[in-house]
Amino acid sequence: MASTSRGRVQICCPEHPDAPLVEDYHAGDMICPECGLVVGDRVVDVGTEWRTFSNEKNTKDPSRVGAAENPLLEGGDLSTMIAIDPKDSQVDEFGKPMYRNRRTMNSADRALTNAFREISQMADRLNLPKMVSDRANTLFKQVNDTKSLKGRSNDAVCSACMYIACRQEFVPRTFKEICAVSKVSKKETGRVFKLILKTLETNVELITTGDFMSRFCSNLSLSPRIQKAATYIARKAVDLYLVPGRSPVSVAAAAIYMASQASEDKKTQKDIGDIAGVAEVTIRQAYKLMYPKAHDLFPEDFKFATPIDQLPTQ
Amino acid sequence: MESGQILTSGVGQLGTSNGEGYNPEPLPEEENVPLLDISINNVVCSFSTRCHLNLKKIAMESSNVEYHRQHGMMYMRLRRPYTTANVWSSGKITCTGAQSEDLAKVAARKFARKIQKLGYKVKFCNYRVVNVLGTCILPFAIDITKFSRQHKEASYEPELHPGVTYKIKSPKATLKIFSTGSITVTAPRVTNVQSAIEYIYPLVANFNAGPRPVKKTKSNTNNFVNKRHITQHVMSPDDDCDDESDFDGSSVDDEDFDSEVSQD
Repeated sequence: MASTSRGRVQICCPEHPDAPLVEDYHAGDMICPECGLVVGDRVVDVGTEWRTFSNEKNTKDPSRVGAAENPLLEGGDLSTMIAIDPKDSQVDEFGKPMYRNRRTMNSADRALTNAFREISQMADRLNLPKMVSDRANTLFKQVNDTKSLKGRSNDAVCSACMYIACRQEFVPRTFKEICAVSKVSKKETGRVFKLILKTLETNVELITTGDFMSRFCSNLSLSPRIQKAATYIARKAVDLYLVPGRSPVSVAAAAIYMASQASEDKKTQKDIGDIAGVAEVTIRQAYKLMYPKAHDLFPEDFKFATPIDQLPTQ
Repeated sequence: MESGQILTSGVGQLGTSNGEGYNPEPLPEEENVPLLDISINNVVCSFSTRCHLNLKKIAMESSNVEYHRQHGMMYMRLRRPYTTANVWSSGKITCTGAQSEDLAKVAARKFARKIQKLGYKVKFCNYRVVNVLGTCILPFAIDITKFSRQHKEASYEPELHPGVTYKIKSPKATLKIFSTGSITVTAPRVTNVQSAIEYIYPLVANFNAGPRPVKKTKSNTNNFVNKRHITQHVMSPDDDCDDESDFDGSSVDDEDFDSEVSQD
C-alpha cells in the first residue's frame, strides 16, 4: 500500500488520479486534497522523537548531535569518531584516562584546524572581533586550496592572512603589530603577503595615516581633541606633499608628536615610537620635514598650550 | 677604469654613448625629446666549467679567494673588471658585479682562465646573462601614492619597501619606482632595460610632482636646526626600511630581490 517511488509516486486517489497527494507526516498518511480520501498509510514519521522546551537549560538538547558545523571552512563533518563518556572512562591510578582516542580527525582537516586555532589566538591577542578572524579563516582556506603556497610555514600564512583580513575589514594593523603576536618575522610575513595577493588575485587598499590615529592615541591616552588635531595634521602633511616617500605610520607618529607637544599632554618621541613601532629617529626625520610648515598644518580651532614658535625643532 | 655602459634614451630617440655591440635602429627625432641617462650597474651571468673543482685546494693555492665551507661555495674576485664569482664544486660559476654585458663575458672568461691555470680541464659552457640591473634618474619627483592608486597592478607597500614595484610582461622587466624620481630596472637583457624605461616614462610623467628633492647634508642644512645642537648625526640603521631619504635608487640592497636568481 505504501508507495515505492521510482521518481514518480505510483499510487493515486482512485477518483482523482491527477490530484497531487498531500502527505501528513504526523499521522503517517497520504491524503487526496480533493475528496479527503486516505490513500497511503504507514508512512514513516520523520518528526522529532521527543520535544524540547526552552526553559530546560540543564539538560542537553537531544535533537542536536555534535558541535555546530563549520561548513564553509572544513571538509564536511562526516567522519566517525568514538566518543569517551566522561563518567565511565577507565581511569588509571593518577586520574588519567586509560584508553585514549588516537585517530580523532581527518588529517587534511588537521592543518586547517590548527591554523584556525592559531588565527583565533592571534585575533584574541590583538582584540579583534570575530568578523576579522572569520575573514582570515576564509582567506586561509582559499590559500590552502590553491596549494601554491604549500612550502611556506603555516604560521607565516596565518599571519599574512590575518594582516590581509585586517586590511580588508578597514581596520589595518601594521606588520609590526602582527609580528608582535606571532612567531614569524616581518620579512617572512611580508613575502607571504605578497604571494597571497598574487595567488588570490586580490588587491588591498593603501594604508592612510588616519587608520592608525585612534589606536595610537588611545594607547597613549591622549584626549580626543589631540587625536583630531593629529589626524588633521597628518592628512594635511600628506596633501601638501611635505613627506614624500615616508611610510604613513611614521607620518602619523610625527603628527601625534607635534599635536601632543602643542597641547598640555606632551609625549616624548620615545613613548610614541614604542606604541607605534616606529624608530625615534624616524619620527625625528618626519617631524623635521613637517616642522617648517607647522602654521599650515594645525587646524584653525586648535587651542595651543605651547604656541607654534615654542615647539621643539627636532 | 672602464666606465659602465651608459645608454642614452630619449622617448622616441635611441642612442648608446659607448658604441658597444648592439645598435638599435634610430627612430625619427622628435622636438623637445627629454634625454635620460640609463646606467647599467650590474650584470650577472653564469656559466659552467663542466668539470668538478676541488674548492679547498683552489682556495689554498690561488689568491683573492674566500672559501665558505658551510655554504659549499667559493668567492673569487677580480680587480679588472671588478667582479665577484661564486664558484661551486660542480663547476657552475655565477659572476656578478660587471658593468656591461661585454665586460661580464670578459670577466667570466678571466675566471675560467684562472681556474684553468691551476690545472683543471676547464670548458666555457652555457654562458648566459642571468640578470641586468640598470638605474635611471628622472629629472622630476614622482607622486607614487597617486601612481599606485591608478595602477593597481603595481605593488606599493610603504611598510615593506619605499618604492613601487612594477612588473611588465613584455619586455620582461621589474621596475622599482621611487618618489625621488629614481627608477631601478631589473631585466634579463640590456635591451629590455631600455625598453622598460621607455615604456614606463609616459606612465610616470603623468604623476610629475615637481623638481627632485635636494638631499640634505650637514653643509646645506641651515635655518631650521640650531647650529649648537648639531653634534652627532645619528645614523643608526632603521630597521623599518620604510623611509627613503637615505635610499638612493642605485643600491641593490633589497631583501626579497635576489640578483643571482634568474629574472627570466
